Amino acid sequence: MIEEKQKLLLRSGHASSAAVKALLFVFFTVVVALPLLRMFVYLAEVDIVSIVTSMRFREALSRSVTVSVVSMLISVALALLLAYALARSNIRFKSVWRSVLVVPMLIPSISHGIGLLILLGRNGFLSKLLGLESGIYGFWGIVIGSVLYSFPVAFLMLSDILLYEDSTPYDAASVLGIPKLRQFGALTVPYLRKPMITVMFAVLTMIITDYGVPLMIGGQYNTLPVMMYRDVIGQTDFSKGAVIGLVLLVPAVVAFLIDLLNRDKGNLSFIIQPFRLVKSRLRDGAAYLVCAVVCVIVLLPIGAFLMLSIVEHYPIDMTLTWHNFERVMGMKTSLYLRNSLLIATGVSLIGTTLGFCAAYFTSRMKSWSSRLLHLVTITSMAIPGLVLGLSYVLFFNGTPIYNTMMILILVNLIHFVSSPYLMMYNTLNKLNENLEDVGATLGVNRFRLIRDVVLPQVKGTALEMISYFFVNSMMTISAVSFLWASNTKPVSLMIPQFEATMNLEAAAVVSLLILAVNLGVKVIISLSHKVFAGKDRD
Amino acid sequence: MTNTNDRIVVEHLSKSFGSREVLSDVSFTVKDQEFLSILGPSGCGKSTILRILIGLIEPTSGKVFKNGVDITNFPPAARKMGIVFQNYALFENMTVLGNVEYALKMDKTKKADSRRIALELIERVGLSEHLNKRPYKLSGGQQQRVAIARTLAVNPDVILLDEPMSALDADMRLSLRHELKSIQKEFGSTMVYITHDQEEALAMSDRIIVMDAGVIRQLDTPQNIVEHPADDYVQSFVLDNMKLKMVSLAGFNIA
Repeated sequence: MIEEKQKLLLRSGHASSAAVKALLFVFFTVVVALPLLRMFVYLAEVDIVSIVTSMRFREALSRSVTVSVVSMLISVALALLLAYALARSNIRFKSVWRSVLVVPMLIPSISHGIGLLILLGRNGFLSKLLGLESGIYGFWGIVIGSVLYSFPVAFLMLSDILLYEDSTPYDAASVLGIPKLRQFGALTVPYLRKPMITVMFAVLTMIITDYGVPLMIGGQYNTLPVMMYRDVIGQTDFSKGAVIGLVLLVPAVVAFLIDLLNRDKGNLSFIIQPFRLVKSRLRDGAAYLVCAVVCVIVLLPIGAFLMLSIVEHYPIDMTLTWHNFERVMGMKTSLYLRNSLLIATGVSLIGTTLGFCAAYFTSRMKSWSSRLLHLVTITSMAIPGLVLGLSYVLFFNGTPIYNTMMILILVNLIHFVSSPYLMMYNTLNKLNENLEDVGATLGVNRFRLIRDVVLPQVKGTALEMISYFFVNSMMTISAVSFLWASNTKPVSLMIPQFEATMNLEAAAVVSLLILAVNLGVKVIISLSHKVFAGKDRD
Repeated sequence: MTNTNDRIVVEHLSKSFGSREVLSDVSFTVKDQEFLSILGPSGCGKSTILRILIGLIEPTSGKVFKNGVDITNFPPAARKMGIVFQNYALFENMTVLGNVEYALKMDKTKKADSRRIALELIERVGLSEHLNKRPYKLSGGQQQRVAIARTLAVNPDVILLDEPMSALDADMRLSLRHELKSIQKEFGSTMVYITHDQEEALAMSDRIIVMDAGVIRQLDTPQNIVEHPADDYVQSFVLDNMKLKMVSLAGFNIA
C-alpha cells in the first residue's frame, strides 16, 4: 500500500536524521571536549602551584591583564566612534569606508606587530619622522598593535547593534523636548549596555590570548601567551604551557557565558524604524574626519609592507627590486602557501557543510537533543586557539592524524566553527517555520525539500561561512602553531619564525601574500554573491 | 460511520504535551463539501486539532477517519488533505508556477502533466498574469491564492486552513472571504477553517465548532449559535464580542 510505503519512508527519514544528529554530536564532543579533558588530566600531574607562584608567571599575568584591559578599552571606544560615524551620519561611500576598516581582519595579528615595527620601531618610517629614536617597544607598542588587530571585530559587532536600534523612542523624546544629551543617557546607554559587555569581553579575550602582537613588538614586556608560545615551541615544556592555557581559558569562558546569557534577550521588537538623519555639516564633517584618519592608520602598515618588500634593503639601499619576493619564495614559501590554501579550502568546505547540518537540526528540528548539539557546537567559542592547539597536541599525539594536514584542518575547523554556525543558525531560524510541514503534506521528503527549497534560500549565508572559514584559516597563527610538521606548515607560521631572525622584509612579503589571497577570496565571494545569491530577490 | 456524507469523523480525540492537556475528548464530523469553522481564543487547542487531522502531530488517544478509513496513523502525504498555513509558507526561491508545480514534479505519475495541471490551477485561482513572479512581489491575498493552488495541486479532498486571514488587513479580509468561498464552490472542496474571529466564522461557515480550553462548547450552524447559544461561554465569546465589535464599527444596526 502507498500509505505503508510512505510510512516506511518517513520512518527511515526520521532514523537517518537522528543518526546524522548523533554523529554530529559525537564528532563535536570528541574533538572539543576530549582534548580539553586530556589537558586537564595532564594538569593533574603538574606542580601548578610552583608555576603560578613563580615571579616570571605573576609578572606576565599582571602585564597581560593590564595591557589587554587598556587595549580593549581603546579598541572598543574607537570601534564605537566609527560605528556611530557610519550608522548615524549622512557621509558618502559608506561601503568603501567599511571595507577599508575591516582590512586588518585579513592579516595575522603578528603582521600588525610587524607593521608597527616597520613604522615605529628603531629606524622605523614614522619614528624617524617623529624623532622617536628608541622606537615604540613594550607596553604602548602592544596596545597600538592590539587595537589595530581587534577594533574591526568590535566595529562590526557594534555596527550591527546600531543598525537594529529603533528610532521611535528618540522621536518621542524629541517631541517631548528632551535634550540630546539626556536622550543619550536615558536611551542609548541602556540600549547599548548589554551588547557592550558582550563586545568588551569578546575583544578582551581576543587580545589577552594573542601572542602575535606582543611577540613582535613587546620587547621585554612579556605576556602570558608569549610565555606559553616560547615554553611550548622553544623548550617543549608542555606543563607550563598547559597551566598558562588554563589561565587563558578563564576570560574566554567568562566571555562565552556572558554572550550566552545576553543572547536572544536584546532587541525583540521586530519593526525597527530606521533613523531619519537631519542635515548636519558639522556631524558629517566629523564623521568624514574620523573615518579618514582611521583608514589612513589602517592602511599605513600595509603601505609599509609594500615599501619594505619592493626596495633592496630598507633603509640602506632604496632601489626598487623583486629580490625580496624571490628570496622569500626560495624559502619553501610556495609549499607553505600551498599548504595554507589546502587547509583553508578544506576547512571552508567541511566546516560549511558541518555547520549547515548542525544549524539545520538545531534551528529547524527543535528538541532537547538539538539544544545539546547547539551548546556543543558553540562551546568551541570558549577555547582560545593556543589552548585548543595545545590540548590537540596532548590528545592526538601518537594518533595517525598527528603531523598530517588533517589535524590542521580539524583544529581550525573547531577553532572557527561557532561564528559561521551561528550565522547559518540565525538565517535558518528566519525561514518560514512551516516549510517542512508543507513538504510533509505535499509528499516531498525532507532531504529533497532541503535541496530544493532551503538551500537556495541560504546561499548567501553559506558563502559568508565559506569566506569566514577561509580567511581565518589563512591567517591564523594560534591553534595551528603547535601542530604543524615540516611538510604541513601553513604560510602564516613563517612570520613568527622571522621574528627570531628579525627578517622584516620576509615577514612583510609573507604578510602581503596572505593579504592578497584573502582580498582575492573576498572579491570572489562578493562576486559569487552577485551571481548566485543576487538572484534570490530580483 | 454510517453516514456516507461524512468526509471526516473524529472520535474522542485527546492530546497532551507533557502534563498539559490541550485537547480533551473531542468528537465531531465534517460533511462532504462543508465549510466548517473551528472558532476559539488562542490556546484553545484549535490548531492542534488541525495538525492532528493532517498528521503533523499524533493524538494521545482517539481516532480520525476519512471516507470511512481509519487514518489516525497515516503519514501526512498519504491522507490526501491539504493545509494552508497562517503565513502561507510559500517557497520564496520559486515563482508562482514553481510553487504550484513543485509537488506535482515529485510525483512520478503526474510528472509529465505537471506543467499543464499547474497552469490550469493557477488560471482557476486567477493568477495567470503573475505566473513568473516571486511570492514576495505578490499581495497578501495573492499569496494566499498561491498557497491554495499549491495545495490543490496534489488533489486533496479536504483543505485545512490555519487562520489564513490573520496576516491581512481588514479590507483585504472582507474581500478574501468571498474569494475563498468561491474557490471552495469552484473546486467543490471540503474546508476546515481555523479562526479566532467570530464575525468571520459566522459569515463564512456552514457549521461552527466553538472551542474553549481543549473542549467543544457547541457545534452548530451560525444561525443556531446566534439564536441558541449552548452556554454562557458561547454567549459571551461569540455574541457579546460580536456586538462590541459592531458597536465600535459605529452606527451598525444589530438586527
